[in-house]
Amino acid sequence: MVRITVRVNGKEYTREVVESRTLLHFLREDLSLTGTKEGCGAGECGACTVILDGQAVNSCLILAAETDGSTIETIEGEAKNGKLSRMQEAFHNHHAVQCGFCTPGMIMTIKDLLRRKPKPSRDEIIDGIEGNFCRCTGYEQIIEAVLDVTGQLGKKEGLRHVR
Amino acid sequence: MLPVNLEKRKDSGMFGDLRSGETRVIGKRTPRVDSIAKLTGEAIFVSDMAFAGMLFAQVKKSPHARARILRIDTRKAEALPGVRAILTGDELDYRVGLYMVDKYILAKGEVRHYGEAVAAVAADTTAIARQAVDLIHVEYEKLPPVLHPLDAIREDAPLVHPQLGNYDYIDTAFSPIPGTNICNHTKLRKGDIETAFKRSEWILEREYTNPSVQHVPMETHVAIVSWKHDDQVTIWSSAQSPFTLRNLFCMAFKLSHRKVRVIVPYVGGGFGGKAGIHIEPLVACLSRKAGGRPVKFTATREEEFSLLPCRSALTYRVKTGVSSDGKIIGQKMTMYWDSGAYADYAVNVTRASGYSAAGPYEIPNSWVDAYTIYTNKPFGTAYRGFGHVEFFWGIERHMDLVAHAIGMDSLDFRKKNALRPGSVTLTGEKIEEHTGNVLTCLKAAEKAVGYGRLTAGEKKREQRSGMKIGKAVVALHKAPAMPPFTATGVILKMNEDATVTANLSLTEIGQGTYTALAQIIAEHLRFPLHRIKISQETDTDRDPYDWQTVASKGLLLTGNAALLAAQDLLRKSYELASQILRAQPVDLDHDKDKVFILHNPEASVTFREMAVGYAFPDGRSIGGPLIGIGSYIAQGLTHLDKETGQGLPALDWTYGAHGIIVEVDEHTGEYNILKVASVFDVGKVINPDAVRGQAIGGMLQGLGTAICEGYIYDQEGHLLNPSFTDNKIPTARDLPLEVESMVVETPQLDGPYGARGVGEHSMIAVAAALGNAIQQACGAELTHMPIRFEDVWRSLGKKEPIDNWITKSPFGSCKSAPEIRKNRPVQ
Amino acid sequence: MIHDFRYVRPERLDEVLDLLSDRGEKGCVFSGGTDLFVDIRAGMTTPDYVVDLKGIESLHHLSFDKKEGLSIGACVTVNELIQHEAVKKHYSILAIAGRELASHQIRNRATVVGNVVTASPCGDMASPLLCLDAEAVILSNKGSRNILLSDFVTGVKSTTLRPDELVEKIIVPSRMIDATGGYKKLKRIRGHDLGVVSVALLKRKDTLRFAISSAAPTPVLLPDFPPSASVEEVQAAAQQAISPIDDVRCSREYRAFMVNVFIERLMKGAE
Ligand code: FES
Ligand code: FES
Repeated sequence: MVRITVRVNGKEYTREVVESRTLLHFLREDLSLTGTKEGCGAGECGACTVILDGQAVNSCLILAAETDGSTIETIEGEAKNGKLSRMQEAFHNHHAVQCGFCTPGMIMTIKDLLRRKPKPSRDEIIDGIEGNFCRCTGYEQIIEAVLDVTGQLGKKEGLRHVR
Repeated sequence: MLPVNLEKRKDSGMFGDLRSGETRVIGKRTPRVDSIAKLTGEAIFVSDMAFAGMLFAQVKKSPHARARILRIDTRKAEALPGVRAILTGDELDYRVGLYMVDKYILAKGEVRHYGEAVAAVAADTTAIARQAVDLIHVEYEKLPPVLHPLDAIREDAPLVHPQLGNYDYIDTAFSPIPGTNICNHTKLRKGDIETAFKRSEWILEREYTNPSVQHVPMETHVAIVSWKHDDQVTIWSSAQSPFTLRNLFCMAFKLSHRKVRVIVPYVGGGFGGKAGIHIEPLVACLSRKAGGRPVKFTATREEEFSLLPCRSALTYRVKTGVSSDGKIIGQKMTMYWDSGAYADYAVNVTRASGYSAAGPYEIPNSWVDAYTIYTNKPFGTAYRGFGHVEFFWGIERHMDLVAHAIGMDSLDFRKKNALRPGSVTLTGEKIEEHTGNVLTCLKAAEKAVGYGRLTAGEKKREQRSGMKIGKAVVALHKAPAMPPFTATGVILKMNEDATVTANLSLTEIGQGTYTALAQIIAEHLRFPLHRIKISQETDTDRDPYDWQTVASKGLLLTGNAALLAAQDLLRKSYELASQILRAQPVDLDHDKDKVFILHNPEASVTFREMAVGYAFPDGRSIGGPLIGIGSYIAQGLTHLDKETGQGLPALDWTYGAHGIIVEVDEHTGEYNILKVASVFDVGKVINPDAVRGQAIGGMLQGLGTAICEGYIYDQEGHLLNPSFTDNKIPTARDLPLEVESMVVETPQLDGPYGARGVGEHSMIAVAAALGNAIQQACGAELTHMPIRFEDVWRSLGKKEPIDNWITKSPFGSCKSAPEIRKNRPVQ
Repeated sequence: MIHDFRYVRPERLDEVLDLLSDRGEKGCVFSGGTDLFVDIRAGMTTPDYVVDLKGIESLHHLSFDKKEGLSIGACVTVNELIQHEAVKKHYSILAIAGRELASHQIRNRATVVGNVVTASPCGDMASPLLCLDAEAVILSNKGSRNILLSDFVTGVKSTTLRPDELVEKIIVPSRMIDATGGYKKLKRIRGHDLGVVSVALLKRKDTLRFAISSAAPTPVLLPDFPPSASVEEVQAAAQQAISPIDDVRCSREYRAFMVNVFIERLMKGAE
């Protein structure tokens, strides 16, 4: 066991933690912050993405012990005072969510992307979310949500009716 | 007009008033009802749940594809502190099975596939359980496995289930052949096939194949079960079929249904893989053995690939006879479905594929033999499209190959043979105007990709890149595969503030049906959408029955039940209001807030006042809580004749088409997908964004199947790629450069507001579209999917194709399957 | 994690070296952990303890100077490398190849040194570094040694690193600055994937240099070619040098073929 202190979404937590415990399991099991999901445990799917000291990372491949003294942002910190963040709002409006299991990781990845590139092009959005699998949406409506939030959507193509 | 005043209306049946006219909510853009909980991380999935005293389960899995279990030694594991229950097959005498009761909860005597569960442990922590599992020693005698279905039907093949003749099964639908590995043979005979071939100008026969693939829901299978005294069992499961799960569970353990409760909260994707019953019985037995403590099992991603089921591999042989004017006059179709070690859904995939095997085309003389064949591999189950993704690879590739062979444009050939009003399907069902319109779909896709020519821009692109551009258009269809008596129910409860809560047990697994149902209910009640809540968690103790969340049948069946419930709620409101207002129900009307007298709108009573019973000023009361009930059962379907396959299996047919543009490097086989345009005849769009989400999400899943996904085994039946390291799924970068989604609306007469399902269809025939476009671009004639660059390259170079899905030499990656790959070279 | 181990985070280099030399138990050093924890989870490695190098200030150094060249400390992440101005300017091939490594999240943790030390034949950093004549600076209690990366990797997941040794940094010589080049990687999807086979080219005034990954147990560095070399010449040399295998990712034949394709594309500057 090691003792660690982390700041998660602005709140400080001090805990004794098993040394081999991943940050992902620490968040989910020790802090009961279950918003962050596990899709593979092996760094492939991005469901576990959180922002650690300002960088998007796969929390399944990081030990909680490594994060002593760190600042961590997770999905639970996104909506403030009962109000969705602008990105969450855009996801809501564009049906960028289906089953919702990839969603928390996706939102955190995009948050990090927009910090680095406030107005990413379509290709930059695609490259940015490459590390986050979504099996449901086919990504298109997620990309549109990001374009919308960054004021680049223009007129949405949408569903076309034909006769 | 009043939906409840049927007496007063002359013009229609039950839903006549729903088929026309302006809608307020239906067809309008509106966010999903469940997205906020998911966006904030507040939605609780089973994988997020924990209970006091909960134990954690781990499973000991077979490293062999086929072996006799000689001895299992659990002593060391038992001695480990923190271990609360250990189970082996010896002490579990229960068999489960959806259609064919052929599977023990833990392997007994023999293991039948790599990754099969042979023992299980529940312990205080996952780490202890894992350690205990490692301490369990299993002695096996390896037996030669049978891996390919075509090997498995040979006379001398070892039998995966020698006891096949003794198993219980649903005999109205399936025909096992005892003494063989064939657990079902579906037959279909229509017209006179031999004469048709004699009359044919051309005959072309080809074989098409595809490997097994994994569904890859982002949330793996997970269940928590507590089995308390007096057999009170509660199951929390990431499942698609709470009621079917309960039913099969009760049958396996001979328990009364009232004792077993299944609860399904948010589900992180299913795609068919979470239908039926899977790990729940094992977890339940662990809980029972641990004295009723809740036990949780969360499958790892690797377990998802082999402990849990996959999609069946298929070998599909099609022989087609065509007349001199390009009409198909006879077609013989033979399907060899690789069921893997257990029948599960594969037998029904076989049946459903059998009756739509020809695609949306009229084949006057047809002959189908579809076999479900046991092999020693992880077993096949339902997967989005239910067989259609697999056999459409064959049938829509075949349509192109036949067209080429007879010198006809393949789209013209499709149009010529497409089902149209008056056509008769394989099972003898007559197609009507309102069934849907294949031709319109084909034409829309044709236009969207500019089929048949290259634009100036495309020609320039070819010059610049040195690649060749190809285009293709394919058609598709699917009807829900379900028993003819599939049923569902919805209960609507009016709340004190005149909002409405709906209880139902169709599950929301991401497909968006809850949003559509809320819209249907809101529309019909004339309430604003925000006043409707679909209760997210389904609970067999509290919610009305629904068969399963599968088959793209939810919108139609549960949609109709929701309409009936809404009608019932209104009828009861009117009855109550008629007493309060002293008027006949037929003279009443309502708006979003109140019921009033048609010709005297001042006389009214609000829904709020009536919601939980109406109190007169002096306190005397009438009514009581307003509850609307809707039950619906599929109408007019029949079993299929076992010898001829004739009958009425289709609740509805959703037709569609994909147009695709690809560019191919003729030298290397590399290709880029420039555009996919998809169109579906959905009857009526309930929610445009949701339809588009299904269209694009399914299309990309279809591309996954088309470009890269597939199980690779070695000769001994070890799965070599059970993880994301070597089993890729499409990422955002794999999206085609452009996607377009379109709909045709030919109203479904018995669909809610004319709608029919479209959850699976977007995935169907995508692979064939890709294969056809690649061939059009560069001539590569592919008959196996997925289409890897190397496959195109081999085909172009006339090299021997590599069918390495049961591979002779290759090695797995060490990260993929560490236990068997440890000492082999890797690259 | 399923396997239990202890976690140590020394703050001084000599502590690490002591740990590595003293303990009889199995220990692993790591920084990003993106390979180590995958292997531990899969049961491929079962260390008794893991040593986090990130506490050591000096290992984070990423510096460039015209005389010493580029120095990449053991804890420098791939993203730090590819975003570094001097790398983009003077060693563009590293930036190009680095961008191909896994996903953004992984690149935020995965280190350049780790990618080389893991010695997976499909690592993305090794072949460009080989082209650049990069050297590993290896420390132990007994002193330090420098070794050319081409001599460092000896086989699949094996190197000349002894259990008591640590790669402190990788040095890319200054004589390589302003070389151009490219990196071509065959993947099974367009999204992030391991290299099924890949080729790096380094172009300097007077030489062309190629290195190939996932086509032999170790990355393969071809002998230098003059700029006038023909595509065929290079391809012939490449085919001599590689020994690809059939595996779940690809056949030997297609690997060999794509090596030639990539050589040609790189030489023609296509794409
Ligand atoms: S759970 Fe961390 S990347 Fe999949
Ligand atoms: S919404 Fe289901 S995985 Fe993305």
